[in-house]
Amino acid sequence: MHEWSDEHQMLRQAMKDFIAKEILPIKEDLEHGDLPPYDTLRKLFATFGMDEMARSTFRRRIERERAVAAGEVVDEPVESFGDPGFTLIPIIELSRHCPGMVTAMGVSMGLTASAISAKGTIAQKERWVEPLLTMEKIGAWAITEPNSGSDAFGSMQATARRDGDEYILNGSKTFITNGPYADTIVFIAKLDEGNPPAERKILSFVLDAGTAGLEQSKPLRKMGMHSSPTGELFLADVRVGRDRLIGETEEVAKGGREGAKATFQQERSGVAAMALGIIEQCLEVCVEYAKNRVQFGQPIGEFQLIQQKLAIMEVARMNVSNLVFRTIELGQAGRSMSFAEASAMKLYSAQAATAVALEAVQLHGGNGYMAEFQVEQLARDAKVLQIYAGTDEIQTTAIAKALLA
Amino acid sequence: MNVVVCVKQIPDPADPGELDPETKTLKRDSKLILDESDSYGVEMALQLVDAAGEGEVTLVSMAPNNEVGGLRTALAMGAASAVLVSDEALAGTDALGTAKVLAAAIGRTSPDLVLAATESSDGYTGTVPAQVAELLGLPSVTFAKEIAVDGGGVHVKRQTEDGYDSVECPMPCLVSVTAGVVEPRYPSFKGIMAAKSKPVDEVTVADLGIDAGSVGWAGGGQEIVGIEPAPARESGEVIEDEGDAHERIVAFLDELKVL
Repeated sequence: MHEWSDEHQMLRQAMKDFIAKEILPIKEDLEHGDLPPYDTLRKLFATFGMDEMARSTFRRRIERERAVAAGEVVDEPVESFGDPGFTLIPIIELSRHCPGMVTAMGVSMGLTASAISAKGTIAQKERWVEPLLTMEKIGAWAITEPNSGSDAFGSMQATARRDGDEYILNGSKTFITNGPYADTIVFIAKLDEGNPPAERKILSFVLDAGTAGLEQSKPLRKMGMHSSPTGELFLADVRVGRDRLIGETEEVAKGGREGAKATFQQERSGVAAMALGIIEQCLEVCVEYAKNRVQFGQPIGEFQLIQQKLAIMEVARMNVSNLVFRTIELGQAGRSMSFAEASAMKLYSAQAATAVALEAVQLHGGNGYMAEFQVEQLARDAKVLQIYAGTDEIQTTAIAKALLA
Repeated sequence: MNVVVCVKQIPDPADPGELDPETKTLKRDSKLILDESDSYGVEMALQLVDAAGEGEVTLVSMAPNNEVGGLRTALAMGAASAVLVSDEALAGTDALGTAKVLAAAIGRTSPDLVLAATESSDGYTGTVPAQVAELLGLPSVTFAKEIAVDGGGVHVKRQTEDGYDSVECPMPCLVSVTAGVVEPRYPSFKGIMAAKSKPVDEVTVADLGIDAGSVGWAGGGQEIVGIEPAPARESGEVIEDEGDAHERIVAFLDELKVL
């Protein structure tokens, strides 16, 4: 794949039109006024039929799982969404203006729904996954804690204790995307059987907002991604039944590591698409500014130092664009990148987006530092791409590990 | 109910247009898109067919180089099929020639209703819809801001300077719609994926039984003798307030008939 297809271009244009009409008029409230993005995301889903497609694909999948569970022979696998371009284009276009909306959407219908889908029982999937995929309900995936970030499992302090047929959950989570507003929360904790923490099993539970003992904080103040509410969760003796333990078993299902890697791979493709949106937007506004901003009697685009900045941005755009194209082409062929390759893509794209956005601020001079000119926001937003979904350092480790294996 | 919508594919207004110095017409050799003013007719047609519970929407278009980009957008919105007339002999066709071609293409279908925009965004003649109706021998209603179908006829609220006229018209007929008659839908994911496989019947002037000499430059009843850059906008009138500024502003607005 070397360019967007006619269908991709049609979708990109439709997304641009939707964003211009529905998002840009409320962008100030989304970015600076704590307006939650969920109603707008639901409108996006309904407008483009994304909710209906997700629902019908999910139901076909569940029917097939039921048939498999009943021992019926199922020859044909359920067709999934064949063209990853249709998933990545909304991410790219939204990221040009409000990358936080992508984070809110991705964590809800991606991470949270995937966590339940990967290991949940059919009944659990029917109960929680469908409304997450359609954005009817908002999901949060709660793993990070004040003292556990990249070392998520090693330093985890949240606990689950058995109490008869039930569990009692305790602990606090932080930096939880959608935490303040989530309807459905996947809470990850260690099973405390009195054994040393390092030997404890990792269990995941599904919690509903409003559960006794669960407190969802207000949105935290942060550097960027303001259209993505981030918060803390506090659990004090939250009592849940076994029906809320994902998989309804304490035994870790086989293939769990592969499942987690597939989720990470998907997440990292999404970050590359976000990076592309940010880079494209920065480049577009910078070219316009370089043509129109006059200093020393000529447009600043005439100066070679400005030209160099634009050229470097264009190189980054081409590289990240090609990585996104590769993701799409592999997906169309029913394949995906290796874990290390996805890590390399994420590492490069995140660094490129941050570098381009900061250089876009520089190119705009004093105007670039002002909120009125969009590059200031994109520079703040881009930085987190190097931190979440695995820090640069974690990606680097994954790449090196594969090289040295 | 079957509805035909006349749609025009035009150069993207977001890109600066270019005039061909030889033909003195707009260059149309780049990718063309659906004229936004036609998206209202497409949406109206889809809503009327939905309300009727049966039938389908067919697009009719005339464009160079077998261009289908704009048609695919309308097909993605939900139209079922399209007829595209594309023929080198059509280069330079004027409004009446266009109407002849569209009327012949529409004649290949049996619509209950034909919809068109009031005028295209690149030509602005605004004469084609009435000409098509006349050539097809259909009654026509122009400037529709609202359309309802009821028992073999259409009820149209026709936009006027002062308000609207209520018009009833038997079907089949042709109605031209104003921008804002309805809010055009975005093409859905499903619609975009399905659009590629929807049928587009590509025909030539010969297929339509039209004499090539009666359309294009050869059949044109007009000639573009020259093209000039638009004159620079003149500076406005500055009113300095000497106590009577409000009266002079009121008089100025009154002269423009905007009060």
